[in-house]
Amino acid sequence: MSSPADGLGRRQALGLLMGGGSSLLLGGCALNGLSEAVGEATQPLNERIEALLQGRGAVPEFDRRQVQPEALLVNSFNGTPRIAPDAYRLAVRGLVRRPLNLDLAALAALPQRECVMRHVCVEGWAAIVAWSGPRLADVLALADPSPLGAYLAIRSADQYFETWDLVSALHPQTLLATHMNGAPLPVANGAPVRLASPIKLGYKLSKWVTGLELTARLGDRLGTWEDRGYEWFAGL
Amino acid sequence: MFTTSAAPPTGAVRHGPLWTRAFHAFNLVVLVVMGASGLQIYNANPVFGGRGGITVPELFTLGGWLAGGRDWHFGFMGLYAANLGLWIGLLLRRRHRRLAAVGDVGTLRASGNPPKRRLAAHRITYTLMLIVLAFSLITGLAMYKPAQFWWLVALFSFAEGAGHDSWQVLRISHLATIPAIALLLGAHVALSWRVGGLRLLRSMFV
Repeated sequence: MSSPADGLGRRQALGLLMGGGSSLLLGGCALNGLSEAVGEATQPLNERIEALLQGRGAVPEFDRRQVQPEALLVNSFNGTPRIAPDAYRLAVRGLVRRPLNLDLAALAALPQRECVMRHVCVEGWAAIVAWSGPRLADVLALADPSPLGAYLAIRSADQYFETWDLVSALHPQTLLATHMNGAPLPVANGAPVRLASPIKLGYKLSKWVTGLELTARLGDRLGTWEDRGYEWFAGL
Repeated sequence: MFTTSAAPPTGAVRHGPLWTRAFHAFNLVVLVVMGASGLQIYNANPVFGGRGGITVPELFTLGGWLAGGRDWHFGFMGLYAANLGLWIGLLLRRRHRRLAAVGDVGTLRASGNPPKRRLAAHRITYTLMLIVLAFSLITGLAMYKPAQFWWLVALFSFAEGAGHDSWQVLRISHLATIPAIALLLGAHVALSWRVGGLRLLRSMFV
């Protein structure tokens, strides 16, 4: 029933609503602390949808003439490590029957594949790049992986750390790139070896890769940026 | 809801059904969250100007930093899509009364009856809102999963002949839905105000 007290309550509630609405618009800061909780509450469902969407087939590629070298920005979390090509070794460890230390000649001896893909950064920019090198799947196959392996940990010379689901790592367009746009990989872009894949955001594509470790489960560390709040799956 | 029963005193607000009001308020919350968190993501790399570009004041952003903005944006996108689906479903069921028709444009051009003109303008506003919201969903999906929805990205390659990459066209299109929906929201509030003023506003909120 509409008693005066009722009307007052409604008027107060209207004030509250308008105040609340404007504080949401103007003072989002108060809600910023909730961001992680929102992410944690919704990411499991999002990840399921992402995994469902992520096809295992090849993503259509661009024409080599469409590359955009000027659009590819350089991000680095810890400087630019310089690796002498002769001293470079890629360690393959974990749930593999034949642990390996591969040099650049061993990587060059594998079938080489080029992927002209859109390289998408979490920041919002993107660039079409032609990455080439051996498939990550071919490199892992050399080490005779155990069927128990489900995740791949990737270590870099600059201490950057990443973990991937094995399905994405074995995708036919996921490469250990040694070349960019037809030329040897520049040091700023991860020379001598970096990850490249059209199905993951840029922060999953580690530069200066020096170690691969096949594991059955994820450890405490998910990745350099993931541990600070970025999504882990980050599929495109 | 109870105020609609037995002879309300003059000046009492006739409330819409509770679910209508809740849905209406929920729409506003979802819109503000999607817009503010979207602007937070914008600031990581401004669509205009890139790394050197001007960022949106923190006042209008939600999340605190890029990952926080993404938490909100991708956390609410499901609600946003469901909300829009419900809207479209509701309006299609009542299409004859609510959704704009070609006749509304004619009314705006020819009618000398102000209430009739306002109703036509309002129906066009609602309908444009739905189109803008659906467009934001499509452009957002294309950027969220460009590898899986490559054909959606390809739709935005129309300006490549003029040197505008499909990705940049997508980013601008997605961003443009914010000023577009803000304008439509302004029109919606102004038109509602002309019809019922504060009483109508209260009937839809509290």
